[in-house]
Amino acid sequence: MKRLVSMLMVVALLMCVFPVLGEPTNSNQLSDPRVRKALTYAIDMQAIIDGLMQGKATEAITMAPPGDWRADDLTAYEYDPDKAIALLQEANWDSNRVLDVVYYYGDQMTVDLLTAIQAYWEMVGVKMEMRKLEGDLASQLWVPPSDPLNGPSAVDWDLAYAAVAALSMGDYYDRYQGGYSSNSYNPQDDKLDALIAATNATADVDEQIKAYHDLERYENEIQVNIPLYHQPVFIVQSNRLDRGDAPYGNEQYIYNWDIVNWDIEPDANGKKVLLTNGGPMEFFETPFFNPGFLMSQKVLFDRLIIADENLTPKYPGLASEFSLSEDGLTFEFTLRDGIKWHDGDDITTDDVIGSIELATKAVTNPVLLTTFKAIEGYEDYASGAAESMSGITVDGNKVTIKFANINPNVLLTFTQFAPLPMKYFKDVDPLLLQQADYWQSPVGSGPFKVKEVKMGEYATFERFEDYYGGQAKIEEIRMYPSGESDANLAKNAAAGQVDYAYTKSVEDVIALEQMDHLKVTTVDVRYTRLFYVNKFPQK
Amino acid sequence: MLSYIIRRLLTMIPMLLVICFLIFVGMELMPTDPISYMVGPEQIANMTPEKLEEMREALGLNRPFIVRFFEWLGGIARGDFGYSLTNGQPIKDIIAAKLPATIELSLYALLISTVFGVFLGILSAVKRGSTTDSALTVLGMVGISIPEFFFGLVMILVFAINLKWLPIGGRTLPEYTSYWQQFRHVIMPATILGISMTAGVMRYSRSSMLDALNRDFLKTARAKGLPKWRIYILHGFRVALTPVVVLIGFRLPTLVGGSVVVEQIFQWPGIGDAFVTAVRGNNYPLVMMIALLTVTMMLAASLIVDVLTALIDPRVRLE
Repeated sequence: MKRLVSMLMVVALLMCVFPVLGEPTNSNQLSDPRVRKALTYAIDMQAIIDGLMQGKATEAITMAPPGDWRADDLTAYEYDPDKAIALLQEANWDSNRVLDVVYYYGDQMTVDLLTAIQAYWEMVGVKMEMRKLEGDLASQLWVPPSDPLNGPSAVDWDLAYAAVAALSMGDYYDRYQGGYSSNSYNPQDDKLDALIAATNATADVDEQIKAYHDLERYENEIQVNIPLYHQPVFIVQSNRLDRGDAPYGNEQYIYNWDIVNWDIEPDANGKKVLLTNGGPMEFFETPFFNPGFLMSQKVLFDRLIIADENLTPKYPGLASEFSLSEDGLTFEFTLRDGIKWHDGDDITTDDVIGSIELATKAVTNPVLLTTFKAIEGYEDYASGAAESMSGITVDGNKVTIKFANINPNVLLTFTQFAPLPMKYFKDVDPLLLQQADYWQSPVGSGPFKVKEVKMGEYATFERFEDYYGGQAKIEEIRMYPSGESDANLAKNAAAGQVDYAYTKSVEDVIALEQMDHLKVTTVDVRYTRLFYVNKFPQK
Repeated sequence: MLSYIIRRLLTMIPMLLVICFLIFVGMELMPTDPISYMVGPEQIANMTPEKLEEMREALGLNRPFIVRFFEWLGGIARGDFGYSLTNGQPIKDIIAAKLPATIELSLYALLISTVFGVFLGILSAVKRGSTTDSALTVLGMVGISIPEFFFGLVMILVFAINLKWLPIGGRTLPEYTSYWQQFRHVIMPATILGISMTAGVMRYSRSSMLDALNRDFLKTARAKGLPKWRIYILHGFRVALTPVVVLIGFRLPTLVGGSVVVEQIFQWPGIGDAFVTAVRGNNYPLVMMIALLTVTMMLAASLIVDVLTALIDPRVRLE
């Protein structure tokens, strides 16, 4: 009897902590998983992909794209309007409610896609209106409520059409935690939080994969948000360019693309010049926030470790040796002897450590920042109580970094993190790092160095003669200015001004594929478009 | 005339202040945000509210709008044009780098539109009612009606992509050693910009010339048996020139601000392109400086046109 009572108490406690699946958790009907599933069932995403995107995307059933990191027993909520109607009826959906759907992209594809979804939802009796957000996006999209469990919502939208370009799997899911700084949509869910915590509790890759599979199953079961499609990256190269055996990977980040061994047909002057985009418009972008969005960030800066095309840390870079302890709490690396910055000065351990410290105070990619914040002594350093992080020690060229807690992305971080020559940042406010003069003509450590910059017109790069990986076969790289999204790509490619570039624009790819002198390679990456569903009670 | 010029220069100061204030208010009302522009919409979700707030504070965006306006104004009065919010570079350096490109483009466009516009306008007036006049009228309407971006894209398709005669865009390339190599880059954008203005100048010149041709002194010249070219060029054109000079004078400053579309299509690194980028990012110190420059040029052009009109036409007196 005593045992039965205690079992009943546990069940009662669990019911309090974990709301029964399939029921709303608060007054907002969107907190009901049945409604979110109905909204998913109502969209024929494959038809949209085939029609609007000419098949150049993959339907998403969870945030994680297909591959080892995605569980293979997930439910695909395939188009089924009857099921959607039944679920909405079961959930007593208020047919007078008009969903407020917001977006921030300025392209026609977004409007077409949302218009199609509007029509699909209309067919099952769900009304929606869409509006484009302008201005301060963070304050309109990502303000968490003061009470992360009960709300009310601090934002005024129902669904937000957005994307996640994930460097690590944690980029997809950490933001779902209750009380997370940008979580404006998910009320605290202890089970979800526990599953996310499990993914971050180990440095062992196999265990991480297992933890993510568990997390995805729960995500899929309650349909936390509405994943729509995975967008690949399209790599464009001209028939002048020979990438040799270099693999094709996620061009948005840094991997072993081996540009030193790329070769290109000489131009009319007999010079091997690679033409590309990603040149600076107003400044060279720091590699701290977006490590490799732009070509300049890739060729100017080297990293301590080199990842393979799947972004798995594998090869030595600026570090000749590296290791991570079994418990994941100690990372050691040895800086190569005799490596130099483009100005001829030695690259030192002080530069590497100073760059880590600078990154903790600057605008830095969250994967990198989370790793650095886990270093022993970070709190004291950040508060000003200590001049450096006690967890970092140096012995000659060997650097040891001890972590206060496990971070699953230590090695990944050092495949993307670019040390900078610290002598140029002595009087720079870390928060205004991007505004430093250095970014008008940076001195880096990569296989190419800046030769000439006409800001907003072109930038040229020449081979770095002291590069530890040998001299590149290509003599010069010429970049015309563009951001990550290059409006002039198709036009310039048609005129023969592009030997290499990458894009995620379907419209561009359709045009580029028709050009005989170009080859387009499709690479699946961690890039997912979705609807964030605001499940908090409305204001 | 000198006192008139000084008086006009003095009246420009309050006008500039009011216009600058209105532009500053407009910037404040615009739904754009420098931080969202710099960080990017997808990445901004990864930043903590505290970090965003620290960045706003560091960039001085949290201070009241009126304080920022008077700080900017004070800087201008001291000759300090400020710094770009996005790249931290002195605005005087940005303008010094961008303005020559726009002036180069504008001057060529002005030259094209003036030469063709005046010539075709006079031809149209002289051949009034003929097939030539009708054809030029239709061409003028076409020139005004077709948008610059369409003309631009057609020219790129024909001359840069298919025929490969001209470069697709940009202003220069690293290997160029002389201006004439660079000149190929300005041909298409200047032609597009020039064509869009030629029609206006042509119609204006035609009306002005027709008006002049109906004057009594020209009838007298004809009666005296003077050669036609002499009547048209030396007597008629000189009189017709005054309103045309006014039009052309006012075109130059509008070209500086009005070449935005052409600069974007042809990747021309001018002030128009910089202006659009700055407006998108609410980079108000740069927007204000470019706006101030354009307004000053407009007011200066107005003064110069008045002075020129007085010099060309003895009937005009400046008081």
